[in-house]
Formats: sequence, structure tokens, C-alpha cells
Amino acid sequence: MTYILVGLAIICILGGLFFFTTATIGLLRFPDFFTRLHATGKGDTLAVFLCLIGFALYEGFSLTALKIVVIAVFMFLAQPTATHAISRAGIRRGLKPWVKGEERR
Amino acid sequence: MNIFFVAVGMGLCALVFLVLYRAIFGPGVFNRIAAISAVGTKTLIILLIIGYVYNRVEMFIDISMVYALLNFIGCIAAAKYLEMER
Amino acid sequence: MIGKSDDIIIKTIARIFVPFLQLYALYVIMHGHYSPGGGFQGGVILGASMALLLITHGYDELKRRLPEGALIFLGSLGVLIYAGIGLICLLLGGNYLDYSQLSVILGVDAPHARSLGILGVELGVGFTVMAIMYSIFFDISTGGILPEDQRREDRAEGER
Repeated sequence: MTYILVGLAIICILGGLFFFTTATIGLLRFPDFFTRLHATGKGDTLAVFLCLIGFALYEGFSLTALKIVVIAVFMFLAQPTATHAISRAGIRRGLKPWVKGEERR
Repeated sequence: MNIFFVAVGMGLCALVFLVLYRAIFGPGVFNRIAAISAVGTKTLIILLIIGYVYNRVEMFIDISMVYALLNFIGCIAAAKYLEMER
Repeated sequence: MIGKSDDIIIKTIARIFVPFLQLYALYVIMHGHYSPGGGFQGGVILGASMALLLITHGYDELKRRLPEGALIFLGSLGVLIYAGIGLICLLLGGNYLDYSQLSVILGVDAPHARSLGILGVELGVGFTVMAIMYSIFFDISTGGILPEDQRREDRAEGER
């Protein structure tokens, strides 16, 4: 039983590391501020959720796993809200979205 | 199992250095705030990995929860400040 | 003066999170003898929850819930608890903040009395730190101008 849980935990953590890598590559290579917010807002949230679920599965059924699940639910609700707040501030200050054909900003 | 956790932690540290490029050279202040929020998210996972390597997980869970909270509140405060006109 | 945010998503999420934040801060204060935490850290989290409400809901909403008189009262109450416990230990015949003398009042033996004494002073520290953190944040964000004077200035500028 424990071998199945440890195997699932390793798969989840490796999946989380993969999504972190793609989110970072997106943050570096995208041409505009709003597209970079897409990359880091969505990719980072899913990666953190998968990594924390992996840690909770590695522990088994105990109080520590419950606390890790509480952190995961909090991050899942809070990170998109912070991204939403920053993008509203960007629109209010007059940043224009990128249209295909312009140069990188 | 320890070696696996240390390898994942070192991979995440390399990703943090890559994100810092956007924090230094991002044109304007908005790119820098997005980059710092991403660094905070990765730091949360690195803290838990350190907890597993030293076999004292219960201590590091409380610290990482507080860090997630402060990251969220700081991001919203910075966005509210940048909205105001001069 | 901080006006309120006109976005319904941020207001709703802040209203959902603040009770859980305060419950977590109370856990950090109480569990301080065994895990990282204690009085000061729990007080900072409590002050941060109040600052979150101030950012998202504006000053007019928060004036009802936490007026300035209540802030001064809470700050002084924390110091009174801390110094009061020390003075009670002094009056009962020991040194200042020597918690083992409290076993006369509480009726338990000396190690339990020490543990309860430490818990009491941590609660006092938590109250004071919460009031001072919120007060510092409020004073810095308004720039030293009271909201009533700010409104008077805005009205005078509008008439001009």
C-alpha cells in the first residue's frame, strides 16, 4: 500500500516540476506583459497544487497531510485573485495589449 | 528518496534564477511584480523540501503557510498602490 | 484616505479569507511553545488581516469595526496584562515575572503554573502587536492627513 502511495507522490511531484518549467519559459519568452501574466498565473497555480498534493500523498493519512491540503486549497483560491488584481492595475494605467505584428515589449 | 527531493529542490533553485532575469530587466514595474510573485510561489515548495530532507516537516508547514499569506497580501497591496494616479 | 476597491472578486475573496486568517493567528499564538510562533508572530498575522480589510473595503467601512479609540484601548490592554502578571508574582513574594508563585492562586503545581504564566504574557503581546501594526499601516497610508481634513480639502477644491 505504501509503495503505491509513494509512486503516486513521485508522479505528482514530477508533473508539478514540469509545469513550473513551462511557466518559467513562458515568463521569459512571451512578448507582452499580459501574456506573461497568463503564463505565470495559470502555470504556477497548477504546479503548486500538484506539488502539494504529491507531498500530502507521501505522508499517508495523518494530521500533517491535512495541513498540507489546507495550504493547497488556499493557494488555489488566492493566486488567481492576485493575478486578477495586477492585471486590473495594468489596464487602469493604460497599458495596451499586444497585437500580432508589433515588436516585443 | 532523499536524493530525489534534493534533485527537485536544485531544479527549482535554477528556475528561480531564471525568473530573476525578468525581475531585473523587465521594462516597467508591472513585470517586476509578476516575477516576484512567481519567486514567492517557488520558495514555498523549496521550504517544504528542506523540511523533508531534515525530517522535521511539522515545523516547516507553519512557516510556509505564513509565507503564502504574506505573498498574497503584498501582491494585492502593490496592485492597489499602482492603480492610483499621481 | 483609502477608497474602496470597486471589484467584486477581490472584495468577496478578502471577506472569505479574513476569519480563517484570524483563526490561524490564534493557533500560532497558542502553539508557540512547541512550534515556530509565539506572541509576536501571531500578532503580526492578526494585524495583516486587518490591513487586508482596509485595502479592499476602504476606510469608511472599517471605521465602524475598529475605531481609533479601540486601537488605543487594545494596545494598552496588552501592556497591562504583561506587566500585571509580573506585578502579581512580585506581590506574592517572589521575583518579578517569577511564574512559580502563581501556583498559590491557580492551585496547580509549579511547572503547570509556569506554563500558564507564559501563555498569559504571550496573549498580551499578541494584542499589543496587532493594534500597533494596524495603526502604523494606517498612518503611513494616509500620509499624516486625517480623513476628515482630507474630505474638507477635497470639497474646497471641488468648489474652487
